[in-house]
Amino acid sequence: MLSNRQSPNARSEFLAGCRDIAPVLVGTVPFGFVAGVAAVGAGMTPVQGIALSLIAFSGIAQLVVAQLVAAQSPAIVTLAAVLVVSLRFLMYSAALSPHLAHLPKRWRVPLAYLMTDQGFAMGTQHYGKAGDRHHRHWHLLGMGLTLYLVWQAAVVAGAIAGAQVPASWSLDFVVTLSFLVLLVPALRSRADLAAATVAGAVALVAAGLPYKLALVVASLAGIGAGVAVERGHRR
Amino acid sequence: MNEWLVILGAGVVTFLTRASFIVFADPHRFPHAFRVALAFVPASVLAAIVIPGLAMPHGTVDLTLANPRWLAGVVAVVVAMRVKNPLAAIVAGMAALWGLQALAG
Repeated sequence: MLSNRQSPNARSEFLAGCRDIAPVLVGTVPFGFVAGVAAVGAGMTPVQGIALSLIAFSGIAQLVVAQLVAAQSPAIVTLAAVLVVSLRFLMYSAALSPHLAHLPKRWRVPLAYLMTDQGFAMGTQHYGKAGDRHHRHWHLLGMGLTLYLVWQAAVVAGAIAGAQVPASWSLDFVVTLSFLVLLVPALRSRADLAAATVAGAVALVAAGLPYKLALVVASLAGIGAGVAVERGHRR
Repeated sequence: MNEWLVILGAGVVTFLTRASFIVFADPHRFPHAFRVALAFVPASVLAAIVIPGLAMPHGTVDLTLANPRWLAGVVAVVVAMRVKNPLAAIVAGMAALWGLQALAG
């Protein structure tokens, strides 16, 4: 085996990215389908639901838009809610940027556009591995493009098939599960576990806050708890 | 009309938040404390999404046997800890949910 381990090139990193994201797609397909159904169910036309997905490429943002369009909220309120649920991208962007800082803009702009929860979680895992890091942005690109294409196909299917799927199938639970399978491997230390526990508890307590603010408040509380445990541990 | 405004606006907001640090900032100038905090972003954000999805399916916390979602979530966590393939845990979680729903009739 060792004799096969040459430095990865651009092509092999790209293909490895496409391959590594494949297991997650099982969650992506029903999640995208649900997002497509939700857009049409909210009163958008299928074309609008698909356009939203092509442009925003964010399942949670798409679900929030659907919820608030259905509730006939003013555009500014809807966009404020999208901003709140997208604040996690700020944190992802900050965490990923040291790995991408050496790349030109023509790389950083599309990689930023293609960044998702799944791509971020698996991308930081991949950057954490030992070995030649020279072509690792191709790995991100492979994951991002694969996820983008599969996601859009699933949203189109959902927007067209509409509300044909019975609620008793509980397809929306796939959304929760597809984040759960990212969460479990992210818990590597006691400090990670503290961060997740506090964030989860605060998310439950703060669930009554308007405009999905609970997500942001809970995330910040979790980060604080993780930092505190890490500091206490070092002393 | 209003819908198209929201659609374009959502695209701008999601892109700018994603691009923020990757495209516009110099990470070498981040303070150390900020980098330490960043390490806890995935665990915190993901837990803040997952836990309510398991424990409060209908807007209130429900950790009784009448809520099959947290039980199915426990099954998925156990599988995810033992099997490296994320597919296995998603399938196990959905199977557990459907099984429990069928049992509850």
